[in-house]
Amino acid sequence: MRVYASYNIKGGVGKTTTAVNLAYLSAREGARTLLWDLDPQAAATFLFRVRPRVKGGSHALVTRKRPIEEALKATDFENLDLLPADFSYRNMDLDLDDTKKRTRRLGQLLATVADDYDVVFLDCPPSVSLVSENVLHAADVLLVPLIPATLSLRTFDQLTRFVADSEGRRPEVVAFFSMADRRKRLHREVIATISRDQARVAVTVIPALSIIEQMAELRAPVPAFAPSSVAAQCYEQLWAEVRP
Amino acid sequence: MTSPSAALLAPDDGALDLAAVVKALSGSFAVVTGGAQVVRQARLDTFDHRLRDAGLVLEHQVTAAEGRLVLIGPDAVTTRVTPVAGLSWPALAGALPEGALRDALAPVSGIRALMVTSEERRRVRRVELHDQDGKTVARLQLDEPVAKTSAVPAEVRVLPLRGYDEAARRTSTILAALGLRPASDDAVLDDVPPPASPDRIAPAPVLLAGVLREFLSAMQANLPGLLDDVDTEFLHDFRVAVRRTRSTLKLGRPALPDEMRSRWEPAFKWLGDLTTPVRDLDVYELDLPVMSGWLVAAEPADLGPFAAHLRRRRTAERRALVRGLRSARFTRLVADWEPALTDLADVDAEGSTVPTAGELADRIITRTFRRVARDGGAITPDSPAEDLHSLRKRCKELRYSLEVFSGVIDKAARKQAVTDLKGLQDVLGRFQDSEVQRHALRKFAEEMVTDGTSAGAVLAMGELVGHLDGEQDRAHQDFQRAFGRFVRPSSTARLQSLGGRG
Ligand SMILES: Nc1ncnc2c1ncn2[C@@H]1O[C@H](COP(=O)(O)OP(=O)(O)O)[C@@H](O)[C@H]1O
Ligand SMILES: [Mg+2]
Repeated sequence: MRVYASYNIKGGVGKTTTAVNLAYLSAREGARTLLWDLDPQAAATFLFRVRPRVKGGSHALVTRKRPIEEALKATDFENLDLLPADFSYRNMDLDLDDTKKRTRRLGQLLATVADDYDVVFLDCPPSVSLVSENVLHAADVLLVPLIPATLSLRTFDQLTRFVADSEGRRPEVVAFFSMADRRKRLHREVIATISRDQARVAVTVIPALSIIEQMAELRAPVPAFAPSSVAAQCYEQLWAEVRP
Repeated sequence: MTSPSAALLAPDDGALDLAAVVKALSGSFAVVTGGAQVVRQARLDTFDHRLRDAGLVLEHQVTAAEGRLVLIGPDAVTTRVTPVAGLSWPALAGALPEGALRDALAPVSGIRALMVTSEERRRVRRVELHDQDGKTVARLQLDEPVAKTSAVPAEVRVLPLRGYDEAARRTSTILAALGLRPASDDAVLDDVPPPASPDRIAPAPVLLAGVLREFLSAMQANLPGLLDDVDTEFLHDFRVAVRRTRSTLKLGRPALPDEMRSRWEPAFKWLGDLTTPVRDLDVYELDLPVMSGWLVAAEPADLGPFAAHLRRRRTAERRALVRGLRSARFTRLVADWEPALTDLADVDAEGSTVPTAGELADRIITRTFRRVARDGGAITPDSPAEDLHSLRKRCKELRYSLEVFSGVIDKAARKQAVTDLKGLQDVLGRFQDSEVQRHALRKFAEEMVTDGTSAGAVLAMGELVGHLDGEQDRAHQDFQRAFGRFVRPSSTARLQSLGGRG
């Protein structure tokens, strides 16, 4: 089982969009894939038309009162299951804080379904928190979408330092540019000048495309409703760079 | 990941009324019907129905767009699907793509090839059931035969989705209210009724004709697969039937007409000999993985030239075998054997001197048992190999007589007697096989040297010969214990009771 986390300290950078599209592509290839929507705002859950509800909420999951199998939902796509978000996830930090291995709990929970899935995606809320610390320990690959702006490079520095300072096993960090607009000089410059010393930067750049925004209306992954679009091809390329 | 429900059938196995199904479900779901797709669907199993016996169903489904293998587990609890292309049947499980399906299938099919048991074109339609958010919460699969006359009626399956059990349950309830009912699998498992066994007072030739006819059917059933080289078991089972025929003729001599001895014994000896070379080579090929485990100094790869040599020899020997089985001699043998058996069963018991089945069984079991006990008792650690070989033949005679007369002797006592005997036969088999294989390996090695093989290959085969030498010693040592068990008072009493007297 290989765990990918779509993560950034900032919101609105394309984390959910990336997790949903790559999870779909993974499943389409035949890998048994799970997407866990960890964000109480439940954007990924909404995109798969699933109700954002987990019986017993974050507390029951984190304390193992209910096994995560019971909360799983099949999506409309073969090989792709969803562990939905629930509004109670906003308190997940508190629930985690009460457990024994407070920074490893999510990894332990995932281990209980390791036989059922080949690939797991974690769609993370934008924050630095106990949840994100858990994600660092659980993930094999941290996928970090960056909007090509000076400010986002600064947060990327913070993020890589956060990873470097964490203890134990660290995930591989793969950054990539998302919502890039080649017509903007600043975007071109940032993409050209990003330092590739601190982390791997994917070759694929996901441009800003209106068809990607349509995901929210159509409530489906881009490659599912527009398989031959440029946007779908970009996500296929990105997946080819990071796939197991 | 979730199990499909059992198939549901329309009343009287009739056609499915899609419109009625859609209407009934529309009260609870938004119903989206997909287009129909024609699927060529082949059911697969081994010749001896290993999948069916294990409760498995394997289908190869081919549409215009793709091909896939579907394996449904016992009680439809697990389904595994693998996309496949360019597969042709028969094939061994090892020829399928790696993955969960092959892993589940291979231990069941073993060395038997998967063959098409039935094939038909089906029209398959998918129906999706959505909730208010447009989320699919259950699917239906409607599956109907394209041809009007089909053994498998139209059926509907509910395909539940993980986390949406309630929707699947509701769907099943609605379908049941429409009169759709679960298909029972009873019809598929039409087990052959056991043949009626003649009683002890029937004339012995009637009993012998009956068992000989069964062996003939076994030969005929295995012949096509043998000729097509589907898998090695067809030849093996064919040879077992020939060997049993020969033993029956030999054991039954006191009750059989002279023609059986003068004409038919040599005829089946010819048939047995015809099939021996290929079977011997099959055994070495099948044993290769085990043999490579014996190697200590050499690498398994060193046996590569040996494997290639076996393959070449087998190709040549198979050509001779197929020629023999297509010859006029073989055709005539089968054509004449059938009426000969009919004549044999047609004895006039009235005032004749032929023994009854019971009398013959008692006489032969007693005699063959005495011989095993006598010859076995004379074996010492210093006995030459030939003595053990001839004892093995005696054991086989006893084993065959227990099989041939199984219909007229006590079932439970027979079963236990076979178990006792089997332990002894296993040891003797190990002893003789080791010796035969040792000689054969030496001969193969000589042939390979003539063909200019590598020194590494010859050395590896030398190791195998050494291992077999040790194995033969071990078997010799194990003999006394196995024989002791065979002649212990309880076993002896059992066999004597079978023979009627001591
Ligand atoms: N490449 C893109 N081009 C255009 N719009 C995008 C692109 N990627 C994401 N978006 C839009 O940006 C918004 C935020 O994206 P989202 O994936 O939800 O970010 P996050 O999960 O990081 O908060 C969404 O409305 C999404 O449709
Ligand atoms: Mg998000």
